Amino acid sequence: MRKTIFVLVTVLFMIASFGLANAARDYINIVGSSTVYPFATVVAEQFGKSTSYKTPKIESTGSGGGFKLFCAGVGVEHPDITNASRAIKKSEFDTCVANGVKEIVEVKIGYDGIVLANSKETAPLKLTRKDIFLALAKDVPDPSDAEKLVPNPYKTWQDVNPALPAKSIEVLGPPPTSGTRDAFVELAMEEGAKAFAWIKALKDKKKFAAIAHTIREDGAYVEAGENDNLIVQKLEANPDAVGIFGFSFLDQNMDKLQGSFVDGVQPTFDAIADGEYPVSRPLFFYVKKAHAEVIPGIKEYLQEFTSEKAWGPDGYLTEKGMIPMPDAERTKYRTDVEKLQNLMLQ
Amino acid sequence: MNNSETGSSKPDKKTRRSLDIVNQGLARRYRAERRFRYYGLSAIVASLLFLSLLFISIFANGYSAFMQTFVRLNVFFDPEVLQQESLASANYQGLVKSSLRKMFSDVKGRGDTRKLYGLVSSGASFRLRDMVLQKPDVIGKTLEIWVPADDDVDMLFKGHFDRNAAEGERRLNDKQLAWIDQLSADGRIEKKFNQTFFTAGDSREPELAGIRGAVVGSFLTLLITLLLSFPIGVAAAVYLEEFAPKNRWTDLIEVNINNLAAVPSIVFGLLGLAVFLNFFGLPRSAPLVGGLVLTLMTLPTIIIAGRSALTSVPPSIREAALGVGASKMQMVAHHVLPLAMPGMLTGTIIGMARALGETAPLLMIGMVAFIVDIPGGFTDPSTALPVQIFLWADSPERAFVEKTSAAIMVLLAFLIVMNAAAVILRKRFERRW
Amino acid sequence: MSPATLIIILLALSSLAYYVGRRRAVTVGGDKIQIKQLHSRPTYYGALTAIGCGIPTLLIFGFWLAVDSNVITQLVVADLPENIRNLPDARLNLIVNDIRNLVSGNIVSGEVDPAMQAAADHYRSLKTTSNAALAVVSISMAMLAIVFVRGKIKPGLRARNLVERVIKYLLIACSILAIFTTIGIVLSVLYEAILFFRVVPVTEFLFGLKWSPQMAIRSDQVGSSGAFGAVPVFLGTALISGIAMVVAVPIGLMSAIYLSEYANKTFRAAAKPLIEILAGIPTVVYGFFAALTVAPFIRDTGSILGLSVSSESALAAGLVMGVMIIPFVSSLSDDFINAVPQALRDGAYSLGATQSETIKQVILPAALPGIVGGVLLAVSRAIGETMIVVMAAGLAANLTVNPLKTVTTVTVQIVTLLVGDQEFDSPKTLAAFALGLLLFIVTLILNVIALYVVRKYREQYE
Repeated sequence: MRKTIFVLVTVLFMIASFGLANAARDYINIVGSSTVYPFATVVAEQFGKSTSYKTPKIESTGSGGGFKLFCAGVGVEHPDITNASRAIKKSEFDTCVANGVKEIVEVKIGYDGIVLANSKETAPLKLTRKDIFLALAKDVPDPSDAEKLVPNPYKTWQDVNPALPAKSIEVLGPPPTSGTRDAFVELAMEEGAKAFAWIKALKDKKKFAAIAHTIREDGAYVEAGENDNLIVQKLEANPDAVGIFGFSFLDQNMDKLQGSFVDGVQPTFDAIADGEYPVSRPLFFYVKKAHAEVIPGIKEYLQEFTSEKAWGPDGYLTEKGMIPMPDAERTKYRTDVEKLQNLMLQ
Repeated sequence: MNNSETGSSKPDKKTRRSLDIVNQGLARRYRAERRFRYYGLSAIVASLLFLSLLFISIFANGYSAFMQTFVRLNVFFDPEVLQQESLASANYQGLVKSSLRKMFSDVKGRGDTRKLYGLVSSGASFRLRDMVLQKPDVIGKTLEIWVPADDDVDMLFKGHFDRNAAEGERRLNDKQLAWIDQLSADGRIEKKFNQTFFTAGDSREPELAGIRGAVVGSFLTLLITLLLSFPIGVAAAVYLEEFAPKNRWTDLIEVNINNLAAVPSIVFGLLGLAVFLNFFGLPRSAPLVGGLVLTLMTLPTIIIAGRSALTSVPPSIREAALGVGASKMQMVAHHVLPLAMPGMLTGTIIGMARALGETAPLLMIGMVAFIVDIPGGFTDPSTALPVQIFLWADSPERAFVEKTSAAIMVLLAFLIVMNAAAVILRKRFERRW
Repeated sequence: MSPATLIIILLALSSLAYYVGRRRAVTVGGDKIQIKQLHSRPTYYGALTAIGCGIPTLLIFGFWLAVDSNVITQLVVADLPENIRNLPDARLNLIVNDIRNLVSGNIVSGEVDPAMQAAADHYRSLKTTSNAALAVVSISMAMLAIVFVRGKIKPGLRARNLVERVIKYLLIACSILAIFTTIGIVLSVLYEAILFFRVVPVTEFLFGLKWSPQMAIRSDQVGSSGAFGAVPVFLGTALISGIAMVVAVPIGLMSAIYLSEYANKTFRAAAKPLIEILAGIPTVVYGFFAALTVAPFIRDTGSILGLSVSSESALAAGLVMGVMIIPFVSSLSDDFINAVPQALRDGAYSLGATQSETIKQVILPAALPGIVGGVLLAVSRAIGETMIVVMAAGLAANLTVNPLKTVTTVTVQIVTLLVGDQEFDSPKTLAAFALGLLLFIVTLILNVIALYVVRKYREQYE
């Protein structure tokens, strides 16, 4: 008798628990890049205050982490939008399709530079991309000019390049879930690796990627999480450290931090907008078309984000440090959003 | 060998009286005694010093958050801009901008005008919007309105800003400083009580950020925790103490519960993540899940406090009840439980106070998102006060430092009230048998 | 009617049942049988009726509410237009979400087309029917129960025993919940940790010297090497906890000694609560204080002295953690020092010992096992502390014992690995569970040892 009651109660409890997850979701669920996070939150707040929709909930998970959550499937329990500081990769797109997320709208929102910043209390570093590669890669070409790799022996910036100060290499940067990391290794480290003719001549793409993209793990490079604000704080406290993050964070903290010169160009708004500063990349967000039609507010949120007062040259996002796209691109993406144009990837 | 002399005569080496040996060592021993006493006293003083250092540091950083700098603008509610059909989405920002331009008509150039607009918070337009939506008859009028200033201006007025630093190292350039000086000469800048801090939810702009969302979220979470943990905890304590047979199993259970009370809170967060979010599929970041996790964390505390309260009721009371014919259940319900209740309540209040300050488990279940709206129910996404403190502590704007300290002050105020209630309760209902 | 109103009605019915049962017990048998001859007090008969009425109906109520949502959704979906019904499950659940939003009056997305409006109306009407049916069923069930139990009321009915048995089962259920929590923690953490150990061998985890868990998350990405040797992380925890204990134990012990041996009553009554306040401050506040004030202070002092201090030195985090633990050590030691019988003290004084000598040579050795137990409990608290280290300690797993360098701890790694990536089958996420399991086991062992030592000691003075 007791046993039956016990079993019955447990069964009821379990059934009840499945019934609990039935509340309707009436807010937008956004995940993704920590670089785009400051921009998305501003738009979300504007959106929430000026319409009667609820303010979207935004989590900073990193571009890679965001894509993983986004591509897990279609449904109320999955995110509606993911922010990214790089374009979606083919492998991620394939995962999306395999899980049923077949219709994605890609929206580019602007450009952002990646800076290597340090505290204004010390002199700015003048780096070349070759220096960056030699300072941060796990395996570097043998200093004795032989065409083979050795584990990175350089301990100070001066070891890498005699013109740089004799400070130990201490770099705080993003983890592999971050789009900034992906963009950084592609734009800065790859070019630095190509400065070595024999690496550039490698036919095997995988081997090249292994050399150019692997970052050292002996403590000189510290993965500082998805919270770029935290890196900014740590740089203020530690003048010898260098941080890798998006230009917007530098722009918002110009009174405390400065960007290092890369290949002779200082990271400024105009230099990035002109394309002179070599380490800059576009920012995106991706929307599930299936969700856009059924979750309240997504269309209006997209309208707010793609409006001139947000992403235009005089918009509030520019004030936050985002570099706006040229007029033609803005028009293109605005029409894509209005039509919910699907992304096609070969 | 005994020398009958007293006093400080020096005996020779072979015949030292024990009294003299003792007397010689006395001064040293008394000194050691005094030293030891001072060590003890200085330990207490050191602890209290740390405590006061903590409080003073938080208070010094946070008291300025209760005031906010406001700018008085002369705003013309232009009927052309404010057309009836879409009052909610009209360009209020434009009204603010034109008002600023009128005050500083000599400012030209895109860069300079942008800097001029930057003196006033972006929340100004929302304030105007709310005014218009409430009383549409202000359209066409010109009114003097106090709007919040930008957080950099606010920091300047609160003295956190070094005016004399080089221009590149300041957030406000010389022109902006000149405009601000002119505004204060005109009496258009003032510090007022910061109501927004208590009425608004989180925001990206420090001058618009408030703790209301966090406080409501904490309240909802604690409500669930209280509603679940108090009855279950008291019932479990009563059963384990009064009715459970005393064998090896119950011993094991007691050890278990004692251990649970000492398990790090982050492990409860892992449990919540794996079971409530992953297995049951409850909504992420909801006070419901937070309350469930905190219940599991508080249960052992309440059970242990309950058990010790029940143990402290003397056997004579129990035996007297049994002696007049009460059943065991009646004895517990009518005699033991009411006497043990104050102890249980004290334990519950202390458990709730601990739950209020917990952050780690809530981090694991997703309350770290950017959530602006005030939660309306138990399944709405929300954050909690300690989590809000944690999030703001990471923000780089200088203005968030004072907001974080002020939020800590509010949290500490709640905790002090709860602990004081527990102490008063304990004192009032304490009975010496 | 709405479920809320129904619950109130059911509760009212239960109270009515109580009165009915009670009255019946008093009047059963007319004048021949008086109250004295009833087996139990009348209130128990009332309670029995109320339980008989209330519990089954509440169970049905709960079960119905849990299930009806799903049933109604199925019915509504079956009536949707063909094309929508054939959508894959996930798309369908989005549409259903929209319909639900429409029904509850929330804002909906976009235009409300007639099909959706029809579906929403259908949903609403089904819900109303369901609620009505529930009301009918539960109220009639309640009535039936009342009549049935009332009919059974006789003087010989052992109502009190039945009621007490039901209450006892309720109490047992609550206790089981508390026990299930432990089992739940162990199982959930263990399960994920086992999944982890299938990928990374236990020996590598426990003895490996390299901790770099940020593996690539895509096949075409190059991340860290995925080394999961946790020794540097353990060392970091040990270092910071060690510094904390170096701060907390002397200060805590000496305060306890002073308060129990030297202080007068008013001083003790004032100082003890103040020290207890240190224990009540949320750890996030300590973390903020450590990151904002203590760490820069140590850094500046270090640079004045010419030492190279990291901005997140283990010293800063350990110092603040030590301050937090002082009240633990203090109050636990206080209990044990007070437990030493006065006879021992008197004996020492009578031989001419000063107070400090008595304490050092008589009382402390006597209270030592208890103090050691208390210190072990404090150590387990320090090891499990999260917020202070998350805000003040670093993220780099350094294999060092230099307190001026930055180290990371087990709890920091758990938080870093889990905030963000939610995939439950990558070694990265599972590593966090493995760390959590280890933390749980270590604190468990420390607590068991501490309690054993304390318990064993306590018996010596009985």
